[in-house]
Amino acid sequence: MSLSAQNVVKRFGAFTALDGVSLDVGAGEFVALLGPSGSGKTTLLRILAGLEVPESGRIAIGDQDMSDTPARDRRVGFVFQHYALFRHMTVAENIAFGLTVRPRASRPSRAAIAARVAELLDLVQLAHIGARYPAQLSGGQRQRVALARALAVEPRILLLDEPFGALDAKVRKDLRRWLRDVHDRMGLTSVFVTHDQEEALDLADRVVVMDHGRIEQVDTPERVWDRPATAFVCDFLGGGNRIACTANAGLIDIAGVRLPNLAPPLPDGPADGFIRPHEFALAAPGHPGIAARLRRIQRTGPQAALEAVTDSGSIIEVSLSDPPADLAAGAELVLVPTAVRAYRAR
Amino acid sequence: MKTAVTEPRWLRWLLIALALGFLALNLALPLIVVFAEAFRKGADAYLAAIRDPEALTALRLTLTVAAIAVPLNIVFGLAASWAIAKFDFRGKALLVTLIDLPFSVSPVVAGLIYVLLFGMQGWFGPWLRDHDVQIIFAVPGLVLATLFITFPFVARELIPLMEEQGREEEEAALSLGASGWATFRRVTLPNIRWGLLYGVLLCNARAMGEFGAVSVVSGHIRGKTNTLPLHIEILYNEYNFVAAFAVATLLAGLALVTLVVKSFLEWRYAEQLAGHGA
Repeated sequence: MSLSAQNVVKRFGAFTALDGVSLDVGAGEFVALLGPSGSGKTTLLRILAGLEVPESGRIAIGDQDMSDTPARDRRVGFVFQHYALFRHMTVAENIAFGLTVRPRASRPSRAAIAARVAELLDLVQLAHIGARYPAQLSGGQRQRVALARALAVEPRILLLDEPFGALDAKVRKDLRRWLRDVHDRMGLTSVFVTHDQEEALDLADRVVVMDHGRIEQVDTPERVWDRPATAFVCDFLGGGNRIACTANAGLIDIAGVRLPNLAPPLPDGPADGFIRPHEFALAAPGHPGIAARLRRIQRTGPQAALEAVTDSGSIIEVSLSDPPADLAAGAELVLVPTAVRAYRAR
Repeated sequence: MKTAVTEPRWLRWLLIALALGFLALNLALPLIVVFAEAFRKGADAYLAAIRDPEALTALRLTLTVAAIAVPLNIVFGLAASWAIAKFDFRGKALLVTLIDLPFSVSPVVAGLIYVLLFGMQGWFGPWLRDHDVQIIFAVPGLVLATLFITFPFVARELIPLMEEQGREEEEAALSLGASGWATFRRVTLPNIRWGLLYGVLLCNARAMGEFGAVSVVSGHIRGKTNTLPLHIEILYNEYNFVAAFAVATLLAGLALVTLVVKSFLEWRYAEQLAGHGA
């Protein structure tokens, strides 16, 4: 089921959380809302679920306008950041809630509910803990119970708020794969909020990058990473070193090295270039490039992380594979950028 | 046993002795006095005093007033704390202040407010007289005054609890298709039941024991508008000490029943209380 938001505006007092946001999610897509805290991503998710009412704008699910439909009639599964499990109910009762709460006419029989709960417990690999209370579960288990509870009502859309935010790194990675697998198997349309760029790029079909209540870019993970539309997106995704440069006739000039711009075209003049650590090569003295003195080198296997200081005192981080064996702190380097994303200077 | 407590033994004993001494002096002793005085002239005099029709009427009236005021304040308290904890609206701070008003206003003043509103010379007095409705010096006045005085107990108990629990569970219930009522009944209420129970017990204790406000609106009509505390005062003023203390044991008995119920429930559901939230 597709999902769309058109020109959504939401304010909290004087603070504008969403400033005219439009987004289309295709049926079966897995979309990440990525941004720093305060960017409006969670607000957008809550508006899609009907938990928050926007000042203006429309929400549609499939071809049905849902703007005035209350949360409970939207058939949207919502997984909360802190899971919001019902603390006084067992795991099985939690999962069954969406079914047992239905009006008598449309409520499945007791046996049918029990069968559905068993099936979902299997799906989330928690068949043995149906009788426990949420307080007795680990974070990862709670997360899976929350997901099973949301799926019990067979939602058309699954919305997840920072689904892995409260978990440790190992559990997070496993759950990520597993969630993606559940999404694909059940043919869901899912939107999840995250502030972790690696998570968004790793998991989503498309990434929506947000800042200050606006959408900065909507694209596939590859394109968001390779071709960030704005300086914010580039920086937020790990833009690397920010180096002053000049745009001239479609090329970017950095310390005498001229490169094509991987960011959208910009007018001639001063610009901010972003160069990632691995987008450097070393050159012989006298070559055009950024002159810098090596301050620190850290070798890990064939890789080396370098920290160099330019004449003007700014620090450049460089990542090299197979650096010369005699490279040591104090060496004078010439760093030649191999790629750049440049944006109008701020 | 070794513990992390480093205070010297004598200090710990001193603190315990202080606390116990205070309890004995201020709680146990008065209770003993009440029972001792009540039985000073023997069990027969005691029984006669509490079998007195006026005493029984007073007991019945006290129970009636509590039976009306407490359920109403459960509803009001729930509604107010629900609104305050789960919604944002203009005038929320004002509502919180208003809930505390009965705590800050003298009960006598509270009673007078009702006399000024509904008494013969009050704002609504003439209208009420024309329609043959009596509020002051009658049961409705007693109920109103008790409602006012006991309003904060349930709300005060629930607001911090509900605020701490937040809105997420309710939102989860809504997104799972639950109606507002189902959400309240199946999610909110179970989460606050212990706080609610304490609030109700406190509210009930005060409703039965309230003196000041009730005294102003009652008119002290023997066998008609005297609640237990008022009846005790009248007996005492008539130097009928045995009867006064005998009736006082009834009131103390009601308080003890409340305490026993509370302790029983705490014992019975100790696991739930310790396990997962209130």
